[in-house]
Amino acid sequence: MSRRRQLLGYLGSRLLLAPVMLWLIATLVFLLLRLAPGDPIDALLGTRAPEAARQALRQQLGLDQPLPAQYGHFLADLVKGNLGESLTNQTPVLEVIRQSLPASLELGLCALLIAAVLGLAVGFSGIARPEGRLDLAGRLYGIGTYALPPFWAAMVIQLIFAVWLGWLPVGGRFPATLMPPSGSGFYLLDSLRAGNPQQLAGSLRHLVLPASTLGLLLSGIFANALRLNLRRVLRSDYVEAARSRGLSETRVVLRHALPNALLPVLTITGITVASLIGGALLIEVTYSWPGIAFRLQEAIGQRDYPLVQGIVVVVAALVVLVSVTVDMLVAVLDPRIRF
Amino acid sequence: MKRLRTVSLLAILMGALLGCQPQGPGGRLVVGSRTRIDSVDPAATYSFGALQLISAIGDPLYVIDAKGQLEPRLATALPRLSPDRLTAWVPLRQGVRFHDGTRFDAAAMVFTLERFLAIGKLSYLLGDRIVSVRASGSHELELKLRRPFTALPQMLSAVSLTPLSPTAYRSHDKRFLNDRFVGTGPYKLTFFADQQQRLEPFNDYWGERPANKGLDLVNLSNSTALYGAMRSGEVDVLLSTSLEGDQQLSLHQDAQRGRLLEGVGPALEIGYLTLLSDQPPLKNPLVRRAIAHSLDHELISQRVTHGLRPPLRDLVPPSLSGSEPTAWPAYDPAQARRLFEQAGYCRGRTLNLPFTFRSNIPADKLFALIWKEQLRRDLGDCIVLEVSGMESTTAYRQLGEGAFASILLEWMGDYPDADNYLQPLLGCNKAVGYRCLEGPSAASGSFWTRPGLNEELLLSQSLEGSERIELLRRLQRDTAAAAPYIPVWLVAPRAWAQASLSTPVFDGSGRVVLSQLQQRPAASRPAP
Repeated sequence: MSRRRQLLGYLGSRLLLAPVMLWLIATLVFLLLRLAPGDPIDALLGTRAPEAARQALRQQLGLDQPLPAQYGHFLADLVKGNLGESLTNQTPVLEVIRQSLPASLELGLCALLIAAVLGLAVGFSGIARPEGRLDLAGRLYGIGTYALPPFWAAMVIQLIFAVWLGWLPVGGRFPATLMPPSGSGFYLLDSLRAGNPQQLAGSLRHLVLPASTLGLLLSGIFANALRLNLRRVLRSDYVEAARSRGLSETRVVLRHALPNALLPVLTITGITVASLIGGALLIEVTYSWPGIAFRLQEAIGQRDYPLVQGIVVVVAALVVLVSVTVDMLVAVLDPRIRF
Repeated sequence: MKRLRTVSLLAILMGALLGCQPQGPGGRLVVGSRTRIDSVDPAATYSFGALQLISAIGDPLYVIDAKGQLEPRLATALPRLSPDRLTAWVPLRQGVRFHDGTRFDAAAMVFTLERFLAIGKLSYLLGDRIVSVRASGSHELELKLRRPFTALPQMLSAVSLTPLSPTAYRSHDKRFLNDRFVGTGPYKLTFFADQQQRLEPFNDYWGERPANKGLDLVNLSNSTALYGAMRSGEVDVLLSTSLEGDQQLSLHQDAQRGRLLEGVGPALEIGYLTLLSDQPPLKNPLVRRAIAHSLDHELISQRVTHGLRPPLRDLVPPSLSGSEPTAWPAYDPAQARRLFEQAGYCRGRTLNLPFTFRSNIPADKLFALIWKEQLRRDLGDCIVLEVSGMESTTAYRQLGEGAFASILLEWMGDYPDADNYLQPLLGCNKAVGYRCLEGPSAASGSFWTRPGLNEELLLSQSLEGSERIELLRRLQRDTAAAAPYIPVWLVAPRAWAQASLSTPVFDGSGRVVLSQLQQRPAASRPAP
């Protein structure tokens, strides 16, 4: 069978498995939410509402139905692409996701860019002299940034650059005194498209601190991954062969070693993107960034079942998508991969 | 050369980015608070932040002024009552327009109240008291009451009942309209996002125009960010909702030094302990009274809140009529010891009392730790506090199941009236002797009642004048003697403004009057 057909077969099997995985995740979230202590009616009405009012609302929201019936409705709606309405304010869950997901993606992608540039630069810097000072500093940087507690780092950075120096805003996604750009929900993109420099500067100013913090915290992973892989590759036979043919060290590193050392980094990037979509919670909370993780945390607190279920399913779908894409990319780029 | 050019370009870009703090048009103010607002529909929301916003863009029928006096707003006088006090007629202001130009009249008010009764999250507050509403004239509202209700004007001062334009809400009479608001208030809502709202003065407002040229409200998700935004000048005015104690103290001290201006509103939120009164060991009233005597209110207030939350020995805030400021006993460890001894504790037998605090509220945790140590110091051989934390949503769910021997909670009435503090804690629909089986007392986790208490509470809702005040005070003295609850502290809302502004002023419902915020002339500002 040709490699292309193998690749397509592999892609097909991954895509076929995706709905099963999503169904499992959706079922798990549905059950866990109902097992967890706490009642959405309490979150909506408070504990002092009369029983009649509580019952009426429970009935109105369909929470009085037996669990299998609720599960059936949930799955039937899910198949139709209907994620339901938020219990707290009747907003369609898809609308809530449409509002908050771009914020998370914008933050995540910028952070990833910073992490990749910073991490790869640090990882690459010590390669000339392994075990030298620069290499040691890079190693310490990798471990240090990875070990930093995110909330602590975020608060310290916020305190220094926003409160003490006053260079950048403390939090939020856009200046209070300006109207946010309309469009896709990606403010950088929307303000660029609108050609409005004030909006662009406003979006950038608010993005700098959270994206830098997140990027800094993630850069250690990239630095360490690149450093280790590059060292391994530089000891491999084909690199030795290249050297023995008289190629310059720069050419050996850049043309022969680096592309191979970057392949595992690509996998790490995929995993990082996936975790960033829903995992930047502490950064979002610290910087009041209205992203999907922040929204999920609030929805859990309010026991807003449809919203929690909807966000988890959408995030899970994105994670699956990113993971399949990265797998395919690696498979295309690395001919050694077998299926 | 090329490298130098790139570096210079980058430096200019960074400088522009860091230096260009966007400025709003002169006279507009930025107001920061913590609560994220996910709906601006009065039927959908009752969070403090949302009601603060609605109070600026809507007008209720009545307001309570800073001195606690009731004042007609969209009503023109207090309700006129039928001889049996079961029908009330409210005269409405004429010449008022909604933000969309629709005329405000009795039909609009009927639409608003009926919509609230149909879909309002707190519809039971109205439904418990009002049977029906109708327009008895073009500008007269008729309310049929279930029973005589003295605090009707106070209830009608609730921001949740602010009139809505029937034209704008026609298609949302059975659904929430979350991101738009069309009322009659001094401001129009021109932009709404859950983290940012923009208010512009309403040109056709019937009353006094706002003193500022508009407001930008921002909601930051954590206390440190808000504090930082105030210190860095990013926000002009900061509302204290959920700001942590240390940061409140720091801003309070800044205000004392003249760097900021501080406004303090009426203290309408109470912090109190609930004791599970239908299960041993707290079933014994002697033990509950001993605990009431053992609490060093002053120490707790100072250590936990630096005195910003004054001690409270009353379930009704002192600013409301019917309060009894010394109903609960003062700190008296000797008396506490005597009561514990009578109950069979001390001298080798220690009461191990489980105490739950809400783990997501920093002041609660601090209270738990300090009270535990205070008890160890004063009555270590009689009582030991077993402290544990629980996230608040989970705690509320389990409260009515009798899961907590003792827990610290807080409460703020939906409108400022004594009834709104006693009924939600003491009301009981079904009881056996001193044990409440169903109703507010059970839902509050104390399960305490006494024969005749519920009837007296209902009576207090219909009595007037000194007779009512005397009954409310007696109810509190009786409750204090049984001690199913122990009031702990009183929480007053605070707001801080930059020194160049006017001091924030609160109304009698504990909300900042946003329309009065303004820049002060340079001559009247304090010297730096």
